[in-house]
Amino acid sequence: MGTLLIMIVFGLFFAAIFTGGYNNTLIQRARKTTAWDWLTSVDHKKIGVMYFMAGIFYFVVGGLEALFMRYQLLVPGNDAFVGRTFNELLTMHGTTMIFFAAMPLIFGLINVVMPLQIGARDVAFPFLNSLGFWLFFFGALLTNMGWIFGGAPDAGWTSYVQLALNEYSPGPGVDYYVLGLQIAGAGTTMSGINFLVTILNMRTKGMSLLRMPMFTWTSLITSVLIIFAMPPLTIALLLLMMDRLFGANFFDHVMGGSAVLWEHLFWIFGHPEVYIVVLPAFGIMSDIFSTFSKKKLFGYNSMVFATSLIGFLGFMVWVHHMFTVGLGPVSNSIFAIATMLIAIPTGIKVFNWLFTMWGGELTFPVAMKWAIGFIPTFVIGGMTGIMLAAPPADFQYQDSYFVVAHFHYVLIGGTVFALLAGAYYWWPKMFGKMLSERLGNWHFWLFFIGFHLTFFPQHFLGLFGMPRRVFTYEPNVGLEYINQVSTFGAILMGIGTIIFAWNMIQSFRSKKIAAADPWDGRSLEWATETPVPFYNFAQLPEVRGVDAFWLEKQAGNKQMTPAEPLGKIHMPSGSHIPFLMSIALFVGGWGLIARSWQIGVMGLLAFGVTMFMRSFDRDHGFYVKPKELLDKEAKS
Amino acid sequence: MADQSTSNTQPTEYKSESKMKHIVSFVAMILLTVAAFVLVLRDVVPVAWVLPLMLGFAVIQVLLQLFTFMHLDQKGSLYYILFIAFGVMVAVISAAGIIFMP
Repeated sequence: MGTLLIMIVFGLFFAAIFTGGYNNTLIQRARKTTAWDWLTSVDHKKIGVMYFMAGIFYFVVGGLEALFMRYQLLVPGNDAFVGRTFNELLTMHGTTMIFFAAMPLIFGLINVVMPLQIGARDVAFPFLNSLGFWLFFFGALLTNMGWIFGGAPDAGWTSYVQLALNEYSPGPGVDYYVLGLQIAGAGTTMSGINFLVTILNMRTKGMSLLRMPMFTWTSLITSVLIIFAMPPLTIALLLLMMDRLFGANFFDHVMGGSAVLWEHLFWIFGHPEVYIVVLPAFGIMSDIFSTFSKKKLFGYNSMVFATSLIGFLGFMVWVHHMFTVGLGPVSNSIFAIATMLIAIPTGIKVFNWLFTMWGGELTFPVAMKWAIGFIPTFVIGGMTGIMLAAPPADFQYQDSYFVVAHFHYVLIGGTVFALLAGAYYWWPKMFGKMLSERLGNWHFWLFFIGFHLTFFPQHFLGLFGMPRRVFTYEPNVGLEYINQVSTFGAILMGIGTIIFAWNMIQSFRSKKIAAADPWDGRSLEWATETPVPFYNFAQLPEVRGVDAFWLEKQAGNKQMTPAEPLGKIHMPSGSHIPFLMSIALFVGGWGLIARSWQIGVMGLLAFGVTMFMRSFDRDHGFYVKPKELLDKEAKS
Repeated sequence: MADQSTSNTQPTEYKSESKMKHIVSFVAMILLTVAAFVLVLRDVVPVAWVLPLMLGFAVIQVLLQLFTFMHLDQKGSLYYILFIAFGVMVAVISAAGIIFMP
């Protein structure tokens, strides 16, 4: 009863502050601050930057967890992080890197770049965009709260049941995973819907589907995958929540449940998930190759086709994560063949990139170095992928370091390299400053060499029989030397990341504003001013073909031809409701984790109240007058 | 610019839709959910009927959802058909996979 009373008092207190009834001057003063501006922003560029910075933060957190694990594995019989601590580290490393680093970094880039590339002034649902970010933010925070309160999740990022049920994982650890991911996942689904509708409905005049830049195309397919892949995860987490919190028996085989059901649901989500994170990477690379080769992307249509085909096949291969479950030779063969089929569209892409560079006028800034490093790295990852797709071989590789090496080659060599390339490439559009090329080169070489030193030897660790997710190994079985090389490589990657952080800080501190089109770019985002005004385009541009801005530059025009006269621009106004909604769910989720039903229900009720507030919110945005646009132009 | 001008005309389109239709299907969906719970909690029908009946309720709910709240009936578009077909395909493959590979 006491907690209930305290929570009610707190709730009323905050409600009073936010509605301005308690002290109106306080809220007026708060509204003028920069923090309020960012908290309530519905501007896609600001939300993108927040996604990106949150992603970088969790990338560092996940990287530290990885370094701790590599430190533990430096020598046999080490006792730095053993048992449960090591399990927590490996679980949170996987969960953080996939859900809280890769996804937000991708969403950050999509948010900033995609509306600019299609010539839109904002995304289709700006409010939903803000809500998606804040749900992700508080979901990620909730999952990581486990480190401080009661133990982090320790059942692996796949959280396989039996192990993840109360009997084998007592304490709140796995509850943090279940509720944190549920909240973050809701945000992800919203963003997916938002991006899809934006790309389909908000393209400027002349921007037909087959004139969109490759990054926009891959964002479109990724959004489709998000919409169809997140629901199985939501259901799986809901069932696991029922089992853990309310004593249901969906997964407990003793009570007639099915442990394989979790694996099916998780991987029906989990496999499309890896395409969700890797397809935008392909898009980033395509844009970069074409820009720095000064050539149209080779085989544009086949690229679009290959992307769609990968998205389509991505839903029919999930059993290749479950070959050793014992589903029978027929199932295993069907899914093995489907898996190998994916190599064909991926191969089309690799050859298209190579042919884009062939005969091009190549330059090698840091972004292009990442892109070039990506091709061989990703191809190695894809090759081991084909090896793993053969069930008889998979029985040998299963649960060994060979698998670890494989997916790090595709996830780092594919996604992370592309995200870093995208960071260097789009940094001037995101922040209005340039990143240093000199520091960038150090970052690239240290990270690239460190990456291969870390993960190439791990193939052999796996073949020599070292199982994954195990915190120690025996001396004198030939594993020490390889593990030391691997740890040394991880340290190089760490140093590379520190240099990147230093590079970011230097760029934020520098006063020099970047040029509007520093790379001699091809797509519409380079046709905007730097820093990009909040309405993006004073007049929406007209698009005449693929590589719209390049075509205009070739025709001798400095700017895009406008598709409309200078008129008033309708823009959405900011809202603090998404932040409140996410806090309400955060409190509710934490209440359920702490098994305090009062707080859980109160959080959900507060969420209902915020939804009610949104339903009767009659704010239809505001107009930017043509005069303001002209004044601004005259000033610059 | 076409998008902004169409968004101005949309409110009139919404007004032509009756409120009753939404309320009726909303109530119907709640009743169908309650009916599904009742089927499981109380022995109103033979056990063998429970699953087919619940599946039937689910199909009705999906159709109500798609037609009244997601405006599938409003105007024909290739996108709707494409995405619904893809969704059905993914759902069928996943469900068949889970049922036939236990």
